[in-house]
Amino acid sequence: MASIVEIATTTPGFSTLVAAVQAAGLVEALQGAGPFTVFAPNDDAFANLPLGTVQTLVQNPPQLARILKFHVVAGHYTQADLSQVTSLQSLEGSPIPVNGAAGEVKNATVLMADVEADNGIIHVIDRVILMG
Amino acid sequence: MMLTFLLLLPFLGAIALATWPNLAAKSARNLALISAGTALVWTIWLFTQFDLTTGSLQFREFWPWLPALGLNYELGLDGLSLMMVALNSLITWVAIWSSDPNQERPRLFYCLLLLVSAGVAGAFVAQNLLLFFLLYEIELVPLYLLIAIWGGEKKAYAATKFLLYTALSGALMLAGFLGTVWLSQAEDFTYHAGLGQSLPLLWQVGLLALLLVAFGIKIPLVPFHTWLPDTYVAASTPVAMMLGGVLAKLGTYGLLRFCLGLFPDAWVWLSPYLAGWAAVSVLYGAITAIAQKDIKRMVAYSSIGHMGYVLLGGAAMTELAMTGAVTQMVAHGLILAILFHLVGLIEAKVGTRELDVLNGLMNPVRGLPMVSALLVLGGMASAGIPGLVGFVTEFLVFQGSYATYPLQTLLGVIGTGLTAVYFVILLNRTCFGRLDNAIAYFPQVSFSEKLPAYLLAGLILYFGIQPNGLVQWSAPTAQVITAALPTIPGQLLANPPTPQPLNPNL
Amino acid sequence: MTTLTHTPLPPSTHPHADIIHRLEAGGSMLPDTPENLMQIIGIYKAYAVPMDFYWRDLLYIAERVFLNPIPAFKYFLPQSYLDLPNHYAGETADLRIWRGEATAHPELLEFMEKGELKHKLPKLFHHLWHDRINMEFAEACMRAMLWHQGMGGRFNDYLQTPEYTEACDRTIRAYFKGNPVMLGLYKAFPEMFYEKCRELSYYANLGQFWEVMAPVFFEMSDIYDEGGFAGVPDAMDFLVNGIFAVAGRPIYHHVYVGDECFELIPKSCGFTWLYEAALPYVEAVFYRTAPFRGTKSYNAQAGQVPAAQSDFHYGILFADVFPIGSAGIPPTLLMQDMLHFLPPYLQDYYRQHCRGEDDQLTQIGATFQRSMYNVTSAVIQALRTALLYPLNDPNPEHLRANRQFFEAQMDRFLRPEARLRDIQRQDYR
Repeated sequence: MASIVEIATTTPGFSTLVAAVQAAGLVEALQGAGPFTVFAPNDDAFANLPLGTVQTLVQNPPQLARILKFHVVAGHYTQADLSQVTSLQSLEGSPIPVNGAAGEVKNATVLMADVEADNGIIHVIDRVILMG
Repeated sequence: MMLTFLLLLPFLGAIALATWPNLAAKSARNLALISAGTALVWTIWLFTQFDLTTGSLQFREFWPWLPALGLNYELGLDGLSLMMVALNSLITWVAIWSSDPNQERPRLFYCLLLLVSAGVAGAFVAQNLLLFFLLYEIELVPLYLLIAIWGGEKKAYAATKFLLYTALSGALMLAGFLGTVWLSQAEDFTYHAGLGQSLPLLWQVGLLALLLVAFGIKIPLVPFHTWLPDTYVAASTPVAMMLGGVLAKLGTYGLLRFCLGLFPDAWVWLSPYLAGWAAVSVLYGAITAIAQKDIKRMVAYSSIGHMGYVLLGGAAMTELAMTGAVTQMVAHGLILAILFHLVGLIEAKVGTRELDVLNGLMNPVRGLPMVSALLVLGGMASAGIPGLVGFVTEFLVFQGSYATYPLQTLLGVIGTGLTAVYFVILLNRTCFGRLDNAIAYFPQVSFSEKLPAYLLAGLILYFGIQPNGLVQWSAPTAQVITAALPTIPGQLLANPPTPQPLNPNL
Repeated sequence: MTTLTHTPLPPSTHPHADIIHRLEAGGSMLPDTPENLMQIIGIYKAYAVPMDFYWRDLLYIAERVFLNPIPAFKYFLPQSYLDLPNHYAGETADLRIWRGEATAHPELLEFMEKGELKHKLPKLFHHLWHDRINMEFAEACMRAMLWHQGMGGRFNDYLQTPEYTEACDRTIRAYFKGNPVMLGLYKAFPEMFYEKCRELSYYANLGQFWEVMAPVFFEMSDIYDEGGFAGVPDAMDFLVNGIFAVAGRPIYHHVYVGDECFELIPKSCGFTWLYEAALPYVEAVFYRTAPFRGTKSYNAQAGQVPAAQSDFHYGILFADVFPIGSAGIPPTLLMQDMLHFLPPYLQDYYRQHCRGEDDQLTQIGATFQRSMYNVTSAVIQALRTALLYPLNDPNPEHLRANRQFFEAQMDRFLRPEARLRDIQRQDYR
């Protein structure tokens, strides 16, 4: 199997996410032992953000990293695990509300669940989630 | 002819207003202003011709009218009359200026106002008892109409009450004058100081009592005051200014000129009671004012209190107190006129006089800041704050009367303190605090609307700082009046600062 | 957005239901009338010019004046700060929001030179005559943020960390190098100096917040002048997009001692414009602040002042605009600043209403209130976009969540002081 980053890189439809992870300097961290649960917004999700949002974030890696860390949780949570919890602590520090029954993570919907990787698990979501 | 012009100018103005064909509303106002303004200029000219070295009558005029009745057209002017005439001319002009430019039925309104002014001017210079009575009565008719036609709420009731009271006042006065002349067997009704002195003291006191009640109603003094709040409140702003500023002075003028002048002995005999009466009036007016919820009514009651000082000054019989009494009449006229004017402006702009509704008018942008500031000045002047004319005159009265009647004077001083109480209540509720969002879209106050208040405020300030400008005119007359009084009863003469009364030989 | 006129949900029963329905249809709390649009855009422009001074001076104070014990000249901007390129305007912008220039606005420069007197005098005279930009207003806003503090974001927490105090320590020692008096004071009362540093960090925070808002408002004014806004919702959407575009802008505090830069709050902390500046600002200044001094007496023992800071509600959305004109209070200062830069159409408008030029300040205040209700609407819609669901989401559960969010926001305007109902009326001026 491959690491989280490798899967994201090789799967079509995640180019923005990969570019963002690289820009934020999080590649190394996400290749660590983990395990991590990553909620991965696809390219459409990023494209839905208003104009300039991504540009500003890419210009400012620490701020970008903070947003991206909000999509990562320490530990290995499968879809079945997610339906057992109502909230997870993100690496950013803020909690992510989870609605397992509806397959929703905060205000995003899980499009593809349980993509297993070496150092964790990926759930593809349809929207970039934000703290607050 | 110099004094006749004082009557003639406003009278001609009234005639012109009544008869000029196709007079527009604006022109009617201008015509009234010109007429009153000419009278005012004429008065100022009189000041320049006035001889300050004598306290006796000047500019005397005499025309026989009905010699059989003893009624002659006799005019004369001394310091007391001069002050009153000046006040009348000034307040008339200011009142006309402060009237609504869109006055309803303007020709009749200004015509009546000028008739009142002419009548009052005549009364102040009349030196014949019957002539005084006639002019005193004549102004009642236009005033009655002014209140009954242009008044506010309950105007008919107020006008009738005013007419009844003042007519009674006139009747008593006539009785007093007739009694005096007949009993003293004078050949006509010409006014002579000390005319009644030849009568027995009891007769004198009786006749004096008639006149005291007559003028007590006009001033008014407690308990003859009940017509005043209703009338002042119902009258429109210019009429209230005339009523409080000028008409009330007919009463105090009569008090000093006729009560004191005709019966000096009886006056001296009654003076302790008069001083006590004054103190009661002062306290009653002030305490009642504190209880009012309507700012116009508050100002009206303040008038009762302040007229008490005039009586106090007159009763004290010292030159200082007499000067104080005369100047207090002027000060009261100025202060009451500015207060009624400002209260009228507030009512016109805000739409209410309720103390519980008014708030925050000092607000610099949406309130009426300049009106509020002037109201504060008027209130301070009325409360006798040093530097303003109210202080000068009240202080003169107190300083002059303390030696004679310390207790009554101290009560009067307490009254001044109470004046401050109700003015603080008035100013605090009206001017300070928070402006209410829901109602604070008042129309702007134009400079022209504020002009009367500026004028009066200027005089209040000027005479407060430079009281001699006021005092010098009446001081010689005050000396003559007090000199005419018989020796003050011995037990009251313990205090050395009292000026030595001269022999009652006039 | 605006094509959606009704939702499948039953009508709201909230007292402000009409406004909730308008928000659900993609509208603003401010009614969509041409008069409102004209007013708010005009006032945004008039606000942006002094704001261009505020942000520059706030940064100047935070970065250069720093702990100067007698900062008598802190409102005297040096040329370098007037030329400081705005990050969101001009050719050099990171993200060009305003098509104009990056340096200080020409109207601002003209006013700074001649002032209200329209006469060129030495700067000191203009300053003493108070014929200048009222920086006191900006500082009042800063102080509101400092005092209310815990309003979301991580900024305030960071100011209490050892990293921050260590950075302060280094900076203070460098700043007061060779000044034994101040260093001695620092040794005796270090906490006081740290607290001053925290205040200065809020200067930087607010300066960086307004650095964004000034070009946003300038651009809105330009778009309006070109006829680009069809209504109030358009203006609100522009703000929503602006908020998103710069959401990730770093918030930091750098201090310059000579040529050396000390990073009190480094960019690497990851503080963002949206979370650490914009949201706390809206909460502190629009909603909470504190009563204006000298306009009304409050009796704390009678419960007239809320016990909890979060219950404060004296901000522009609640404030009584009538005290405007009273000396020295923040709203007067701001309205006076905006008065100098009103576009001609707004000047004409004020002349036609109430007392014309005589109560212009209060009229500006009411307009400003309208415009800030629109900005708050933008913030509410932005939060809804970021945290909740699109307005045309097919899922009724999602729409219900949106409804709940809107209702919770409107609950704050149930207080009697709220001006939300007033601004619905055109004759509230």
